[in-house]
Amino acid sequence: MMQNISIISKTIPCNDEVLELTNQRVIYWKTQKSLILSDLHIGKSAHFQKSGIPIPKNVLTTDLERLKQLIQYFNVENLIIVGDLFHAGYNSDLDEFKTWLTQFSNLKIQLIKGNHDRFSNAIYDQFKIEVFKKDYFLNCLKFVHDFEEPSKDFFTISGHTHPGVFIKGKGRQRIKLPCFQVTKNQLILPAFSLFTGLNTRSAPKNCKNYCFTDDGIFEL
Amino acid sequence: MEEKGHEPFSFQSQTWERYHNNFSGMVVAPTGFGKTFSVFLGVVIDYLNHPNKYKKGLKLIWISPLRSLAKDLAKAMNDVVVEIGLDWAVEVRNGDTPTKDRRRQERLMPDVLLTTPETLHLLFSQKKNSRWFKNVNCIAVDEWHELLGSKRGVLTEIAIARIRNLSPKLRIWGISATIGNLEEAKDVLIPYEVKIAMIRAKEKKKIKITSLLPDQVEELSWAGHLGKQMSSKIIPIIYENTTTLIFTNTRNQSELWYQIIIDEEPDLIGQIAIHHGSIDKVQRNWIEDAISQGLLKAVVCTSSLDLGVDFKPVDCVIQIGSAKGIARFMQRAGRSGHSPFETSKMYAVPTHSLQLIEVAAVKEAVKQNEIEARQPYVLTYDILVQFLVTLAVGEGFKPEETYEFVKQIHAFHFLSKEEFDWCIHFITQGGNTLKSYEEFHKVVLDDDGFYRIKSRRIAMNHRMNIGVIVSEVMLFVKFFSGGYIGMIEEYFISKLKKGDAFVLGGKVVEIQQIKDMTVLVKRSKKKKAITPSWLGGRLPLTSGLTYFLRLKLSNALTSNNREKELKFLHPLLKRQEENSHIPRHDEFLIEMIETKEGFHLFAYPFEGRLVHEIMASLIAYRISQIKKLTFTIAMNDYGFELLSDQEIPLTEENMNAIFSKENLIKDVTASINASEMASRKFRDIAVVAGLVIQTQPGKRKTNKSLQSSSGLIFRVLNDYEPSNLLLKQAYNEVFDYELEKVRLQAAFQRISNSKIILKKARNFTPLSFPLKVDSLRGTMSNEDLSKRIERIQKQALK
Repeated sequence: MMQNISIISKTIPCNDEVLELTNQRVIYWKTQKSLILSDLHIGKSAHFQKSGIPIPKNVLTTDLERLKQLIQYFNVENLIIVGDLFHAGYNSDLDEFKTWLTQFSNLKIQLIKGNHDRFSNAIYDQFKIEVFKKDYFLNCLKFVHDFEEPSKDFFTISGHTHPGVFIKGKGRQRIKLPCFQVTKNQLILPAFSLFTGLNTRSAPKNCKNYCFTDDGIFEL
Repeated sequence: MEEKGHEPFSFQSQTWERYHNNFSGMVVAPTGFGKTFSVFLGVVIDYLNHPNKYKKGLKLIWISPLRSLAKDLAKAMNDVVVEIGLDWAVEVRNGDTPTKDRRRQERLMPDVLLTTPETLHLLFSQKKNSRWFKNVNCIAVDEWHELLGSKRGVLTEIAIARIRNLSPKLRIWGISATIGNLEEAKDVLIPYEVKIAMIRAKEKKKIKITSLLPDQVEELSWAGHLGKQMSSKIIPIIYENTTTLIFTNTRNQSELWYQIIIDEEPDLIGQIAIHHGSIDKVQRNWIEDAISQGLLKAVVCTSSLDLGVDFKPVDCVIQIGSAKGIARFMQRAGRSGHSPFETSKMYAVPTHSLQLIEVAAVKEAVKQNEIEARQPYVLTYDILVQFLVTLAVGEGFKPEETYEFVKQIHAFHFLSKEEFDWCIHFITQGGNTLKSYEEFHKVVLDDDGFYRIKSRRIAMNHRMNIGVIVSEVMLFVKFFSGGYIGMIEEYFISKLKKGDAFVLGGKVVEIQQIKDMTVLVKRSKKKKAITPSWLGGRLPLTSGLTYFLRLKLSNALTSNNREKELKFLHPLLKRQEENSHIPRHDEFLIEMIETKEGFHLFAYPFEGRLVHEIMASLIAYRISQIKKLTFTIAMNDYGFELLSDQEIPLTEENMNAIFSKENLIKDVTASINASEMASRKFRDIAVVAGLVIQTQPGKRKTNKSLQSSSGLIFRVLNDYEPSNLLLKQAYNEVFDYELEKVRLQAAFQRISNSKIILKKARNFTPLSFPLKVDSLRGTMSNEDLSKRIERIQKQALK
């Protein structure tokens, strides 16, 4: 079993709501008893395996264990997932996810479909996941998978890009870290799964990067 | 041959005789002396004498490292075959061969097949492939020295082993140019208990090396800014000769020098071309043809023209900057004056003054015929994994039998049964914890005891991935109106925006759109354009060359020196001696300089860039044990610099300890980020072993859901499969190639035997100046750079 993760958070105001960014790649939304997250890519390791590339399944197991600890720590009732819950076709990883879900009796999952989520709704029904094809609105927040145009009336939360940032030090040292990208009216989530790459090239204009490590979260 | 009035060279007739007597062996001769015919005619003569020993189908497999060589070679062989009246078919098979011809060959193999190591492995991945190889009499490896020091060498070793396994009477012949470890090269190629001959040609290629000197010597050596000055000296040479090849070290430099030359002499436009690996293949072929036909006066090129077909009209070669090694220098020189008794003409153009010492060093090395060794790769698990999958795609394999012949291969002499079993395990079960790999079924064990691949899709993916040449992710560059220009690294293009202009193939273009691994551009009138920098290409000086370099420097100021280069440099060297010191061959020089920028420590091991990079971080680490300091590090091929904002506590008392050879590897490991470096090395390994799927330039990313970076896989495996042998290989490669462990140890051994000289200089010295400039380059754009250099120069000379 995995050790307990250390959870460190930082609160930011978004219009009238208050969101807590954490160093564990999720946002805690206290008033709604929700976690907001993106890009889990469940099924990626098994999909690679099926194609002859041996990626151990532990990647998924640790991701799920981390999510479980987060759910318990914040004691939330909802997960809002802004896309790419499943990576590709149906495989044994999804069965593991299904079994994992049974330990939470009252967990409600809402998914805004991402480019990887290509199953028919019947499959999502099996997982008791509420699916939104394009977007989902709650209070002053708008949830989409990939960010398009900023909307004036809503604060947009999206995923998809797997944002990361380079920190440059003296003597040509460079470290690449995942981050939350935040502007006045939007926020881009880092990918939740650890088996994802980082994209340091796309960033909205005038954005603040909140990057994090296993034991800290920093504003850049 | 003799009928044509050619008298065979003695090494040729010797080869024929040996081949006839059932020997395997290696022929060592300079290019242009008919190495090819030594082995090829050997086979032909043997056939004519014992036709009954040869069966229908493939008789001779001819492996050469370059596709472009094959076509001309096949033509030459065909001419001989026709002349003798032999009914042999001589054919080429490589990546360029049309499908139609390939299918025909598969139905009936020609008698002689000219091919590459990769294509041979592709043949192994076909159904029922062993029938083609059952009666092969000889496998010949051309330019073996080129393959030896690379992973392609291992591919070749494996291909030989498999064919020998199918055709036990196989004779193996290598053809090589002179290198430092010929005996080893021979043993790597032929590690079998057979009769082996080593045949060395007595003939020598004559090389004339001339250095082009600038009009005057700067008292501080310019670094890389001699361009304009030197171009006026190059133009007359181009006009004096029929065709001149101008070698530069990087694609970036070749673009720059092409511009410099046509700016200086616009009349040459149309008679001068540019040739490097990123130029479109069609255009490159056109240029190569144009050289052969004598249509061009000059071609600016990179190592892209180091090897390849002989260009008859080329009678002069110019090397710009350092050739970085003796073998490479000679190889390039040999591109001119190709026929046996002509002299190769080579002009060396220094890009900074100190390079003149290098020219003197190369001359000495050539005189003494001291050429670098090529180190063969060993225990490359990635290639073994790839080969096992290849066999599984083809006819399937039995592990015991395969282990037996794999172990005979030089690269795998020390492969343990456990390691071999791990490789089998890796391709059948993925990893150690079975439960983690439930869906992994790449290779499966059939009831008849053979390992095979069942999935057509996996087999297809594997075939596309065979080989060990891993390139950067490249994008095609194409005009919006149609017409390819060449290729460019994704890394470079990702930094540009739409409308930005850059130079490629001597053309200034601007970006319009990027789509499906293709950059669409249009011609640009912009004055300012960026010259792409391609990753790689920053080779370190070889240890063979640095040895002669130290020697030349050591004797530089002795009064009876007659060498032109050293005489020319005299004012500069004198200044070095006055302000600091010129290290003799048994000395090691450290300079401490204080400037407005901070406190500098310069050290000059003369061991090449890579070793200096490691040494610099090691010394920084050891110093910071005494006092916590942050350093900025810079290095070039001559030495390295540590810069700090506080005084560096290096004194005559502790300098021996700080440069000590004790605890070397332990301190190196502590001072560098080994896992970061291993992660970089893992890139190639992951591709070769099939963990990362490569996308071809211009193609759409087909397997989008299978894209992942090798860095990511490295991390995942590090966390969950730390016993993975491919990870171990990555770390080994870091120590062997990145850290050049052996060379590093030798360098510290040498330093510990030397007298360390610690000098405090008041300002930059001729030795330290190029280093300073190099480190500036990393942080600033070009224009600022020249101004800044000017300023520093003025300050120093006040």
